[in-house]
Amino acid sequence: MEVYEIFRRSGHKSPFEHCGAVIAPDPEMALLLGKECFLRRREGEHLWAVRRSDIHALEDESVLEIAADKSYRFASDYRDVVQKRKAARHRVSSISSGAPA
Amino acid sequence: MREALVSLVTALADDELIIGHRHSEWTGFAPHIEEDVAFSSIAQDEIGHAAAYYSLIAEATGASPDRMALGRQPDDYRHAVLCERPNGDWSYSLVRHWLYDTADDVRLEALQESADAGLAALAVKMRREERYHLLHANAWIKRVAEGPIEGRTRLIDALGKCYPEALALFDSLELEDSIVDNDLLPCSSSELRARFAQRATSELDDFGLPADIHRDLDNSAEFLASSSGDLIASEQEALTTSSRSGIGGRAGKHSDDFKPLWDEMTSTHRLHPDAHW
Repeated sequence: MEVYEIFRRSGHKSPFEHCGAVIAPDPEMALLLGKECFLRRREGEHLWAVRRSDIHALEDESVLEIAADKSYRFASDYRDVVQKRKAARHRVSSISSGAPA
Repeated sequence: MREALVSLVTALADDELIIGHRHSEWTGFAPHIEEDVAFSSIAQDEIGHAAAYYSLIAEATGASPDRMALGRQPDDYRHAVLCERPNGDWSYSLVRHWLYDTADDVRLEALQESADAGLAALAVKMRREERYHLLHANAWIKRVAEGPIEGRTRLIDALGKCYPEALALFDSLELEDSIVDNDLLPCSSSELRARFAQRATSELDDFGLPADIHRDLDNSAEFLASSSGDLIASEQEALTTSSRSGIGGRAGKHSDDFKPLWDEMTSTHRLHPDAHW
């Protein structure tokens, strides 16, 4: 018996998402049991079973830590750009409509 | 015609209700947690199918589905005796699950062509769900049959007990002639039994399991060799022997195993017949 990780997707264009694991003797049985354990209420329209031992995991999770300020990588840091763009658009439209600047 | 429909659908509904009840007794006890969930889900499916059949009867007669399911006396039920047998060990339940769902598939295939449009539509819908039940049963039987000798031996023992009783799923129904003449069931029960026996025997052969070894057949029964070299009783013998066990369910004659099941299944309803969930 081996552990199989079960993935499902909710719709044709949705990504597969992990939803749990089953212990099963082989892939066919993992799919059969995975269906009843995680999709019996029509939570998804497709199902994957992946042998846990086939999954490669990072050896050192600490490589995911962020040491320095990386705020420039986040959209939230550029919120004022939206305001600036709005103001610029306003200026442009008032010029083209002939109103005094 | 209405009586014929009610007779047919009552037998179908009672089979599903009673085997669903027996399956549900594994909840909390199945060999492992994943199978516990899977088998319990199958039990719920069967009881759901019973509810759909009872609703079909309700449309024809006005009888309440709840009262049909829980408000009748034991000898009013028309399920086959196979469905009421206690579970015993896992191999027994597994073999019964496989035989029952194989038989049900043969039956539903025929019912898809029923002259009753409501029943035909229901058969199409149920067959989709039953497909999973068959996949599940086949996957289990295949693995146990190919596994260590103990599992295989237990399967063979269970087959000896279940197979003759599975044939009784196709005993004549009350008003059988009227059911068949009106094409509610497009062919006779005995024709369905022959189809089932042929399919089950050939699939058991594929699993490398002996079909048709009846422990209760007398010793003079004629045995034939199947293609795998196992002994099988001749089909004629299996169909006609008077020593067949598990018959009578279709006429309301149940075994002693049914009364305890009925007591438990109907206890709440008998205390509070008008209760609503």
